[in-house]
Amino acid sequence: MATASFRRRGLSVVGTAAALALVLAACAETEDPNTDDGTGGDTGAGITVGTTDVIIALDPAGSYDNGSWAVMNQVYPFLMNSPYGSPDVEPDIAESAEFTAPTEYTVVLKPDLTFANGHALTASDVKFTFDRQVAINDPQGPASLLYNLESTEVVDETTVVFHLLSENDQIFPQILASPVAPIVDEEVFSATEVTPSADIAEAEAFAGQYSISDYVENEVIRYTAFADYAGVLPPAVTEEITVQYFAEETSLKLAVQEGDVDVAFRSMSPTDIGDLRTDDSVVVHDGPGGEIRYIVFNFNTQPFGATTAEADPAMALAVRQAVAHLIDRNALSEEIYQGTYTPLYSYIPEGLTGANTALQDLYGDGEGGPDADAAAAVLADAGVTTPVTLNLQYSPDHYGASSDEEYAMIEAQLEATGLFDVQLNSTLWDAYSAERTQDLYPAYQLGWFPDYSDADNYLSPFFLTENFLGNHYDNQEVNDLILAQATTVDEAERTALIEQVQDLVAADLSTVPYLQGAQVAVAAADITGVTDTLDASFKFRYAALGR
Amino acid sequence: MGSTAAVRSKGSGLGGYILTRFLLIIPTVFILVTLVFFLMRVVGDPITASVGDRLTAAQLAERLADAGFDRPLHVQYFEYLGQIFTGNFGRTLTDNRAISEILVTYGTATLELAIYALIVALAVGIPFGMLAAQLRDRWPDAVLRVMAILFYATPVFFAGLLLKLVFSVWLGWFPLSGRATSSTQLTLSGISGSSGINMLDALRTGRMDLIGDVAAHAVLPAMALGLLTAGVFLRLVRTNLIGTLGRDYVDAARSRGVSKSRLVRKHAYRPALIPIITVMGMQIALLLGGAILTESTFEWRGLGFQLAQYLGARDFVAVQGIVAMLAVIVAVTNFIVDVAAALIDPRVRY
Repeated sequence: MATASFRRRGLSVVGTAAALALVLAACAETEDPNTDDGTGGDTGAGITVGTTDVIIALDPAGSYDNGSWAVMNQVYPFLMNSPYGSPDVEPDIAESAEFTAPTEYTVVLKPDLTFANGHALTASDVKFTFDRQVAINDPQGPASLLYNLESTEVVDETTVVFHLLSENDQIFPQILASPVAPIVDEEVFSATEVTPSADIAEAEAFAGQYSISDYVENEVIRYTAFADYAGVLPPAVTEEITVQYFAEETSLKLAVQEGDVDVAFRSMSPTDIGDLRTDDSVVVHDGPGGEIRYIVFNFNTQPFGATTAEADPAMALAVRQAVAHLIDRNALSEEIYQGTYTPLYSYIPEGLTGANTALQDLYGDGEGGPDADAAAAVLADAGVTTPVTLNLQYSPDHYGASSDEEYAMIEAQLEATGLFDVQLNSTLWDAYSAERTQDLYPAYQLGWFPDYSDADNYLSPFFLTENFLGNHYDNQEVNDLILAQATTVDEAERTALIEQVQDLVAADLSTVPYLQGAQVAVAAADITGVTDTLDASFKFRYAALGR
Repeated sequence: MGSTAAVRSKGSGLGGYILTRFLLIIPTVFILVTLVFFLMRVVGDPITASVGDRLTAAQLAERLADAGFDRPLHVQYFEYLGQIFTGNFGRTLTDNRAISEILVTYGTATLELAIYALIVALAVGIPFGMLAAQLRDRWPDAVLRVMAILFYATPVFFAGLLLKLVFSVWLGWFPLSGRATSSTQLTLSGISGSSGINMLDALRTGRMDLIGDVAAHAVLPAMALGLLTAGVFLRLVRTNLIGTLGRDYVDAARSRGVSKSRLVRKHAYRPALIPIITVMGMQIALLLGGAILTESTFEWRGLGFQLAQYLGARDFVAVQGIVAMLAVIVAVTNFIVDVAAALIDPRVRY
């Protein structure tokens, strides 16, 4: 009997609890304690940023991804950094940074630097930062960017000398602003292994524009302005920024639309962004993006490639040129990506120093549109019988959900004139990634995010003979020019070399770039500063945001 | 005949029953872990997935070798079994976190959701089941039976999206996603000795704004997941109640002039609810399975949500570890429920 009574009571409790929860919920509805009166909750009048990025690690030695990099740009100091609006780097917490010998790059820190936890930031921390990157060499980390670093030497409390392997490496200053180079606190970080994110946040081992005051991994981060930041960037406009992490693009879109977040940055689907452009309650800000999309030709296996039965370099080139003439970049940009990717007519994205429009000058109608007649002529002149059968491969699961539509449109563009018979194939990324370097794909889709905001990062990996594409492209002149620009000290001379490389590669058409990813941020109408930071450095700084 | 007798004699004692049930945990977990291990290898490795587009073939091969992915599958498998045997579920490949840490951090969120869902399931399933039994073969009974089937048959992610559309987007009554607003979550995570169960932590603060915020975020996920199980409970209570209402002792009570509602409450209610205890054990697995989809739909950052994220990243060490942990939880929970049911109702042992 006692048991029965207990059960009845238990059920009553359950029922009451359920009812209570519903009543409480109904009372609360969707009121946000952060926004109800402007002072509720704990964030004061700060700004909330929403993102779908994922943080892999706060330790710069253990991550090389957009989500982690976004956090690092707010909280870590760099020796070199890009001021708002520029892709080029300047000394950040450094007073000076220059080559003092062909293989010696000397950096002098500003005096009396500190981390947010009060620890002194000295040359010893700088050496520690780079030594541990090399020592840890984590597979998920960016240590490979230090390919030219031989050793790091502390001269005195504020002076560090980087000893380099090759001379006059003009990329090195960019490397010092890259994911491999956030300066870390040697009193907090492990010298031999990746330090857990929670430990880093707990220790407040930060000295950037912001410090992290609260950290719940991949859920929410609260940033507080670091008053003693002494770098090239201005102090934070807003004292407190909260970043909320979303798993679904649609949730992020609804959150910014409903005013739950003030700024949404990375990433939303083209359809969602198109929809938000028509919403008066928010402003869609566009900026240049570093991501590029391109088609790679395998010089051995493409039509008339070196190892095919009908090998003919001139005919092979004509096929590539015909493709370049026929691709309608504007249609891809507007119809598939709603302007979230913009037409790309060069190998280096617009906005970076040295970028030109080599492909627009050589192919299509000269104004960015396709030219079927020019395509037909180039094939006829080379004696190519049409239609040319072109096996074109893409990955449906690695470059976003729109890849299917993107490549269906490319197929249609190439076939519309009757010059090509495209055999379109898709392969899931894991197999694709391995097969593309095994000469299995005559022509295929790839995309690229930069490691650092410099033209070199769009040339060396692709067009040196030993490149990651493995597409058998080999042009000694291009090789020499790429190596030369990397060590040319004079900026104007270096820019000219970069332009020369683009012109040569555009003539060879080892790859055909066609789209450049735009950076898109969606903000409430009263938010300021978004455009200040949406620049070709591809670093979105929360410190520029205000209201 | 002999074998049946042997089985019966083995299972007839409580000790034997408990031992058999306990030993069943081992093959259950083993089979699941093995299946997950091999299935995850079919979809490729995380290194290729994350950096395969910027490495040469040689560099990629080197990285795979460094991570041990070039070794024969059976070697990796036995090494993994050895790790599990020693209680080491490993560290994730993508973010280098201990699997045990993930269980502790996110398991509480899943537990919280499961509790809410169970409350909804019981609060909806039992009273409506009783109502359907009392109004047997009348139109409310038909409506409730159809409702139960709908609850059970509707995929939990679809129910979740529907609830979000209606109650969040159209009506604006409840938040779209998450376990709490960002400020509340930070406050709750920061309190001393945070349990990870938001409602518990919110109650500890005594702040109504936090409690209300947490409750508001819980309603829709709890409904989506709870209604799935409520359908089962509703049907079960109805069927059992109808069965007990037809028993002789109920007839005898009825002949004494006991009212129908009193009959149900006093005489049929208890025996009808006993099987629910057993079914609840099985529903734990259903709840956890449903939690994976519910958590993803509502961005409820629990084990299911994490599992989906790691699946997307092809982090098979994480997936293996979390699934193994979930398998152990389900198996142990079922074991406890089975033993409890056997203690309450000796007929279960047969």
